[in-house]
Amino acid sequence: MMETILLALFFIIFTFAAYFLMNLLYIRFHYSFLMPALTATFVIVLFLLMTDTAYDTYMIGGQWIDSLLGPAVVALAIPLYKQRKLLFDNLVPVISGILVGVVIGMSTGLALAKLFGFSRTLLLSLLPKSITTPVSMEITEQLGGIPSLAAVFVMIAGFSGIIIGPAFMKMLHIKTPIGVGMGFGASAHGIGTAKALEYGAQEASVSSVAMSLSAVFGSFLAPLFVWIFYL
Amino acid sequence: MKFLIFILQFIFIYGFFFLGQLLCELFSIPLPGSIIGFMLMFAALSLKLFPLRFVESTATLLLSFLPLYFIPATVGVIEYFDVFAGKGFFLIAVVIISTLLTMAASGLTSQYLGRRIESRKEQE
Repeated sequence: MMETILLALFFIIFTFAAYFLMNLLYIRFHYSFLMPALTATFVIVLFLLMTDTAYDTYMIGGQWIDSLLGPAVVALAIPLYKQRKLLFDNLVPVISGILVGVVIGMSTGLALAKLFGFSRTLLLSLLPKSITTPVSMEITEQLGGIPSLAAVFVMIAGFSGIIIGPAFMKMLHIKTPIGVGMGFGASAHGIGTAKALEYGAQEASVSSVAMSLSAVFGSFLAPLFVWIFYL
Repeated sequence: MKFLIFILQFIFIYGFFFLGQLLCELFSIPLPGSIIGFMLMFAALSLKLFPLRFVESTATLLLSFLPLYFIPATVGVIEYFDVFAGKGFFLIAVVIISTLLTMAASGLTSQYLGRRIESRKEQE
């Protein structure tokens, strides 16, 4: 019992420390690949491998931090509510962009992965890759995929969006605040929204609205895509 | 005092999450419980059931550490390294291609519709 509490405390503090130190590093150098979600995960994985610690042991503490995900998703309603004017003033372009994004994202992801012959579990983990991590993990879990893999695919989507995205959107002549914000938010979720902030406040607001609403529409549509592709 | 307000607001936000989970299980809704909680919170604010300041400061604080909360689950990839070996490498390519297609489709759609509505407004 005592040992469990100590282990839990140790891993909670360790995760916090890794996150804050990596955050400092990111603030200092500001390279995309130094984002704390990536680097802190890397540090913890390395520690577990080096000390030969099982993931289940880490989760004795990790589960407490994990349990904040649900309330954090609920809290996302507050920034969306604050941006309701932007949303309702641009309702048609915003909702259309999000719907098209969710449909294209999920269908091309499933179709391509199926083409390469990947397993059902992998397809289900890859399906919500353009949806913000906490929600995509829940979608994947409900459908029978692996949440940890979903989190990794979401991260790959986010990074490819911000690394290739700027040149790609320039090539496609996507340049209005609504177009750029939507492009980042609908494909690269929170990571994309951080990038959109470099373009301007309006781009970032559109991106944040796109991220929140993609999570809502994605939750509704994901089971439908599974049904269509497996029938 | 500030800490007390934080605790109360957190319990309040958690209540929405709990309600979402509960509804999800009771009616076996195929949606994440947190998304139901999110929609309930947005609806409650829009209907002005309580003022924004009831939840604002704690929600902002909670969201400023968002990446921290998904680290434990992401670390779970440690049990699935073999997925990315060999053919699994193509999974990364699939995600990148599909992400760019998503970006192009959503960005172009919103930009096109946004411009059309703008020009129609100007004509009026």
